[in-house]
Amino acid sequence: MRSRDGNRPFTFSICTLILLTSLTLHAKEYFISYRYVVKDATLYNETLYVSSAMQKCSGVPQEAIVLENSKKSNSLKEILLKNIDHFLSHVNKLALDVKHTEKTKNLHNSSTTILTLKTTCFKVDFNDNFVTIAPFK
Amino acid sequence: MKYSLLLAALLSASSLMAVDTVQAQDSQEQQPAQSITVECATNECPPPPPALEDEPVLTHNKDVLISVTGQGVAPMNTTSPAQAYALAKRAAVADAYRMIAEKVKGVRVDGEDLIKNMMVKRSTVRTSVQAMVKNANVVETTFKDGLCEVEMEIVLSHSQFAR
Repeated sequence: MRSRDGNRPFTFSICTLILLTSLTLHAKEYFISYRYVVKDATLYNETLYVSSAMQKCSGVPQEAIVLENSKKSNSLKEILLKNIDHFLSHVNKLALDVKHTEKTKNLHNSSTTILTLKTTCFKVDFNDNFVTIAPFK
Repeated sequence: MKYSLLLAALLSASSLMAVDTVQAQDSQEQQPAQSITVECATNECPPPPPALEDEPVLTHNKDVLISVTGQGVAPMNTTSPAQAYALAKRAAVADAYRMIAEKVKGVRVDGEDLIKNMMVKRSTVRTSVQAMVKNANVVETTFKDGLCEVEMEIVLSHSQFAR
């Protein structure tokens, strides 16, 4: 029969294991895509798609950003839209697809630029007042 | 009567020669334009001109920094100056990305002129660019008089292209 002192490391390791497992399970993976259209130097349309991943994403999480979640919302889309500027400054460092067309007809010019973040898997950690997201690479 | 027939024959011969000469001149004038079209249509365009002295060239041990300034304006129906700033900045960032893509990858230009009765009825120029831009950094943002300017930089290294 083990003494109480002898059981302490065992209990500690079990607790650590449970904590780590819960943290791992708590981290979710989401697919995020973003697209915006600029027409004649003016923002015309903006679309943000967020979807929970049904399969585990492959790759290594890259540099993470921390977004504020003061309302303790569970909706990632809501959080991203609230911190869209911070998120976009991070997205700018990722690969963005640029499509630009310009038409000059009888000296009248019109242009359309479409910037797209292709669907990318992000690792998302929901905490009390903030959310950490990191893109997979 | 004899002389008149001879004169008529001479006149017709000279007019035929003149037509031949004009056609030859026309074909000579049109030749360069035709040759350009044919050469580029079969992907045998002449090689690009050599780089200028001031133009940066991407080499093994020298990275190239490309710096652009994109401009954007806010829409008319904004609810606050902050929203106007945010939207104008987004447009300016897109413009800066477009400029980077144009500098790095180049622009496709299509032109079309419709001329009817010796007058230009319609003149259309279409330009387009499509590229994937990675690791671009916003250096500075300024917002003045409704116009947002974003300075953006990208560093190109030889290893990114040589694979």
